[in-house]
Amino acid sequence: MSAILPPSKRIWWKQPLDKIELTWIAIAFVWALVLFFMMPYWHVFGKQNLSNEAYRISAENYQKKAQEMVDKYTVRTETDQKIPVAHPPAGSDVYLIARLWAWWPILELENGQSYRLHLSSMDYQHGFSLQPSNINLQVVPGYEMVVTVTPNQSGTYGVVCNEYCGIGHSTMVGRLYVVDKK
Amino acid sequence: MANPADATQRPPPEEAEERIPIMQHVLENPFLLLFLGVAIPAVFYIIWGIMEIVAIPIAK
Repeated sequence: MSAILPPSKRIWWKQPLDKIELTWIAIAFVWALVLFFMMPYWHVFGKQNLSNEAYRISAENYQKKAQEMVDKYTVRTETDQKIPVAHPPAGSDVYLIARLWAWWPILELENGQSYRLHLSSMDYQHGFSLQPSNINLQVVPGYEMVVTVTPNQSGTYGVVCNEYCGIGHSTMVGRLYVVDKK
Repeated sequence: MANPADATQRPPPEEAEERIPIMQHVLENPFLLLFLGVAIPAVFYIIWGIMEIVAIPIAK
C-alpha cells in the first residue's frame, strides 16, 4: 500500500538501506559477477569464445580457395561419397566448407604443427564442433572465420554441426585426422 | 507512516531549500528512466555491434 503513495519524506535518498534489501542486492550482484567472469574463463580455459579472425567473403571465392587446397594436397578419398582427404603442409592455411549437410573436405593435420583453419558456409549458419576436444565456433555464410589450431593429440576427430541448419542437420558429421609427423 | 493528505500539500518550508540529490532526481523521473533504458542498450549492443560488423575486413 505504501508503494502507491509518495514517500513520507521528500528527500528519501538518504534513508538507510534495510539489511534484507542489502543482502538481496549483494547476492544478485555476486551472481552477476560470476556470470560475467564465466565468459573470459571459458575463453582462457574452456576453448570457447575463441579469438578468431573474421573476414568478408563470397561463397564462390571461398569455395575456390578450398578447392585449390584440395587440388594441391589430396592424398586419397574416403566414404561412398568420395570425400577428398587433404593433407596440407604444416603451418599453412587449411580450409573447411560447411554446407547443407556435410563438411568438406576431410582434413589430415600433423600432430604438434600449427595451422590456420578457415571456416565458412555456403548456405546457412552452421556450427563447427570438434569432438571430443569440444572446440566450438559458429560458421556463417558470407564470412570467413580463421582460427589458429595446433593439434596436440593424434587420432580421429569428429566435426559435428551444432547449429540447427535444416532437416539434415543431425546427419551433418564430418571427420578430421591428426597424424604423427613422419 | 505516510499521510495521504501530504501528497497534495507543498513541502514544509525547511525542506523547500534543501537540495534534492541528483540520483534521486534520476530515479524519480519515469521518462528519463525510460529514455535511459532504451538508449543505453541500443548504443552498447546495437550501435556498437553494427560498428564492429561493418569494420570486418574483406578476405584476401
